[in-house]
Amino acid sequence: MSKNFLCHDFKSPRTDISRRLPGTMKIVPILFYGVLAMSAYFGIRDITDLKSADAERLASVAKKTEIEAAKTKLDLERIQIETEQFRGEGLAKWVEGTRSLQPATVAIARSVPPEVSINELFFERSADLPAQVSLTLRMTNGGPSDLAKIEDTLRRLRYRSHSPQQQRQGELVEYHSMLVWQDQ
Amino acid sequence: MNGKKIACIILLMFIAILAYAGQVLHKNALAKRAAATQAESDTQSARGALTLLDTKVGVLRSESEDVRRFLVAWTPYVDKVQLQSDVETTISASMRNAGVVTLSNKFEVRDTRTDLVLPKIIRASLTIEDDYAKTLNWIGELERKLPLSRVMSCKISGGENGRQVRTEIVIEVPLPNLRAVPVPVVKI
Repeated sequence: MSKNFLCHDFKSPRTDISRRLPGTMKIVPILFYGVLAMSAYFGIRDITDLKSADAERLASVAKKTEIEAAKTKLDLERIQIETEQFRGEGLAKWVEGTRSLQPATVAIARSVPPEVSINELFFERSADLPAQVSLTLRMTNGGPSDLAKIEDTLRRLRYRSHSPQQQRQGELVEYHSMLVWQDQ
Repeated sequence: MNGKKIACIILLMFIAILAYAGQVLHKNALAKRAAATQAESDTQSARGALTLLDTKVGVLRSESEDVRRFLVAWTPYVDKVQLQSDVETTISASMRNAGVVTLSNKFEVRDTRTDLVLPKIIRASLTIEDDYAKTLNWIGELERKLPLSRVMSCKISGGENGRQVRTEIVIEVPLPNLRAVPVPVVKI
């Protein structure tokens, strides 16, 4: 009773004033709800994906920035090492030829007996190969045994004698040799 | 056109708008995903480059360790000799302290333009005539005081009397520049 009353209250029975739509048009509201549902599903999915992709991108960018900073730091370290190496090598090249000659001079003088007189002792370092030192020795009353002693002394000081030559003119002996420092 | 048709058209338009908006959103999401993938790829490349550089620096570090330790050990000696006057003063003071008789001394500066670490070399040519032991002690002391010095030539011969020797010695002492930087190699 009350239902009928309500029905009559809101919608009174009336005849159609316009023609019905064709049956195929029923698909429109179905399509509408379908598209609405699909839009909601894909929309939520796309928005979630978009947000996560954005977060991943930002994380990747932050990580890349961190890596770039580490790379810059390593690059600076590389430059620093290369610079120190350059300076060290330049200095080492020089120091290689600074080996003290005084011990060799003293050792030569001590290795000859008192009756042998050293007239001249001349060391000359090669400008191109500073590790090589040319030795010229002029002595009186000396002999091959004295020269052997000198060579032995120099060997003990880790100098290797290259192409030694000796000339004798009466009592005067002239000895010439190229001394090369041996590391081992 | 009746109201039903208009309602249908409005619904169809709404459907089209929804579909279009959904497509736009999807494209946007795809673009963001592509950007994220690209960023991840860039990060991977950067990580690879970092690993490579780290290896290179590690090798360089270990290979140059001896040279760098050598540089650290020699830096105090280099710091002592920075000016021509430092060399001249050290040599003159050593001769004075040893009390050797100096016949002549000459100091020259040699510029080595190609060498950035050792741009200047002081060449001292000295002639001394004194007691043999005193002279050799002085040479030893000088080589000890100036570890960077290089005796280029040393000629010891008889002096005026039997006890004395005449020594002509040429010493080179560099004035190192430990602020030198290597010239960058231009890759063509």
